[in-house]
Amino acid sequence: MNVMITGASGGLGRALANECGKRGYNLFLTDINAQGLKSIQLGLERQFGVTVTTAACDLTRDESVDALMNVIDTHQIRFDMLLNVAGLDFEGGFLERERRDIIRIISLNNEATLRITHAILSRRREGNPFYLLFTSSLASMYPMPLKATYAASKRFLLDMAVALREELKDKQVNVLALCPGGLATTRESMSGIAAQGFWGNVTTNPLEVVSRQTVSRLKQRGGIYIPGALNWMLTFFGNLLPRRWVAAAIYHRWNKAQKQWNPVETSSAGSV
Amino acid sequence: MKTAVITGASSGIGFAASAELIQKGYRIIGIGHDPARCEEAEYKLRMLSADADVTFLCGDLMQQREVERVASQIIQLLQDRNENRLDVLINNAGCVRSWYTTTEEGFEQQFALNHLASFLLTYRLLSQLKRAQGRVIFTGSESHKHMRMHWNDLMLTRGYNPLTAYKQSKLANILFAKGLNERYLGDGITSYVVDPGLVCTDIGCKNTGGLVDWVWSRRKKHGVPPEVPAKTYAYLCETNPAPRELYYHLCKPNNYSCQVTHENAEKLFALSEKLCGIQYPSWIKT
Repeated sequence: MNVMITGASGGLGRALANECGKRGYNLFLTDINAQGLKSIQLGLERQFGVTVTTAACDLTRDESVDALMNVIDTHQIRFDMLLNVAGLDFEGGFLERERRDIIRIISLNNEATLRITHAILSRRREGNPFYLLFTSSLASMYPMPLKATYAASKRFLLDMAVALREELKDKQVNVLALCPGGLATTRESMSGIAAQGFWGNVTTNPLEVVSRQTVSRLKQRGGIYIPGALNWMLTFFGNLLPRRWVAAAIYHRWNKAQKQWNPVETSSAGSV
Repeated sequence: MKTAVITGASSGIGFAASAELIQKGYRIIGIGHDPARCEEAEYKLRMLSADADVTFLCGDLMQQREVERVASQIIQLLQDRNENRLDVLINNAGCVRSWYTTTEEGFEQQFALNHLASFLLTYRLLSQLKRAQGRVIFTGSESHKHMRMHWNDLMLTRGYNPLTAYKQSKLANILFAKGLNERYLGDGITSYVVDPGLVCTDIGCKNTGGLVDWVWSRRKKHGVPPEVPAKTYAYLCETNPAPRELYYHLCKPNNYSCQVTHENAEKLFALSEKLCGIQYPSWIKT
C-alpha cells in the first residue's frame, strides 16, 4: 500500500502518518516545511521500520507540484491512498485580516487540494481500489461568522468528497470527508480550545482516535466522518434549523471566545 | 568550581534546585523553553549570590534536534570553562498533556519530553560526566507505582489518558536510571531518581486546559514549596562517597515499583536507543 500524505509535518498529518506506519504502509510525505518532514521521516522509520519518502512542496504553486510529479514519474511510483491534510486558517474577522491572507486560505485549502488530488488520482495503481481523504471540518456544516472563509473552504471540500464519491464509485475509489471538531495539535490550538472553555473541550476530538477511525472508515466505505457523538448531534440538529439562526448563534459564541484570546495563525491541519 | 546542568530550570522544581546548588557554589547551566521565563530565572538566580555563575540556554527539548543543538552548546560551554567536565546533570524538564499530541518526530509529547529527551541528552554528555565522576539525577514521581510499561503501544495511541502517559514516563525515568547504573557505575557515573512528593508547581497548568488544568490547580495547593525537594537534589550532589540507592525522597532512600527490573530496564534501553537513533557505548571514551 503506497500512501501520499499532504501537510504531513503538521499535527493531524503526523498522527495519520503514524497510523499508516503502524499498519505497515509505505509513505510518501509532502509538506511545505522541509525540516519537519525530515523529523517525521526519522520518527516513522525508527518506530515502525516502514519505507518513508519525503519531498517538500508548495502545493499552491503549479510548478512545485509539476516538479513533484516529475520525481514520482521518474521513479514510476503508483499510489493506493491519498490523504489530503494540508490546509490553513487565519483566525479573526473578514475585515481584520489581510486581503492576501484570505485568498491564501482558498488557494491552499481548495485550489491546492484539487491540484494534488487530480495529479495523484491519475497516478493511482490500475485495477486496485483507491482511497481518497479530504480533511474538511465541523466548520463545514454551518456558515461561520468570524471564520467565514475557512468554513466556506471546508464546505467546498465536503461537497467535493460527496460528489466525487458517487462519480468515482465505478473506478473503485473510496472517498471520505473527515469533519473533526477541535484537534489539540499545536500550542495555538490547545490555547484556542482552552479559550472556548466548556464548548471547546467537549467538541475537541482525541487525535489518536480520529486518525485510527479515519483510516479504518476510509478503507471500509468512505462517506462523511464526524468524530464524536456530541459533534454528530450538533451537526444533525444544526441542520434542522435555518442557517441564519445557526450563524447568529455561532457569531455570539465566537465573538465572546475571541475576546479572551489573542488571535494566532494556525497553519496546520483543519480544526474548528 | 563544580558545574550542574539542569533542564526545566526556569520554574518549579528545576528553579529551586538551581537556587539550592548556587548557594553550594555550583556553576549552573539551566535549560528552559520559554526565552522570557529563562531570562527572568537567570536574573533571579544571579541575585542570590555575588559570585553566582549562571547561564541559560533556550530549547524545546521535546524535539530531538533541539536536544542535539542544546547538547552541543553545553559541550561548548564546558570545554571553554570547565576542562570539559560535568559534575551533575539533572534531567528535570517534564510536562503533562491533556490530549494525545505528538512531537515533530511523531512521538507522544509526554514520553518524548519526560523520557526520550533525557535519554538523548545524557548520551551526549557521557564523557563529560565520566571525567568528573558525575551524577545524573531524574525528577521522578511516586505515581510511577501501580503502572507498567505499555510495551506494544508506548505512545498510547490505542487509548490516551494523561495520567497513564505521565505515570509511564515516570516509570521510564527509574528504568533508565537503573539501566545507567548497571552500565556506568564502573565508570564512576551514578544515577538517581528523586521523588519530589506533591509540589506546588505549574506543571499541570502549562498547555493543558480543561480537566487537567482544573484538577491540578486545586491539587497543587496541598503541595510543598519546590524548595523542599530541592534539598534532596543538593544532598545527592554533595554527599561523599556517592549514595548507593536508586530512589530518594526527602534525602532518604525509598521503595520503588516492582516493575523496575533488569529485564524492563534493558528493554526500555533498547527501544529508546532505536527511537533516538543512537547506541550507548559499552565503555565511555574520555
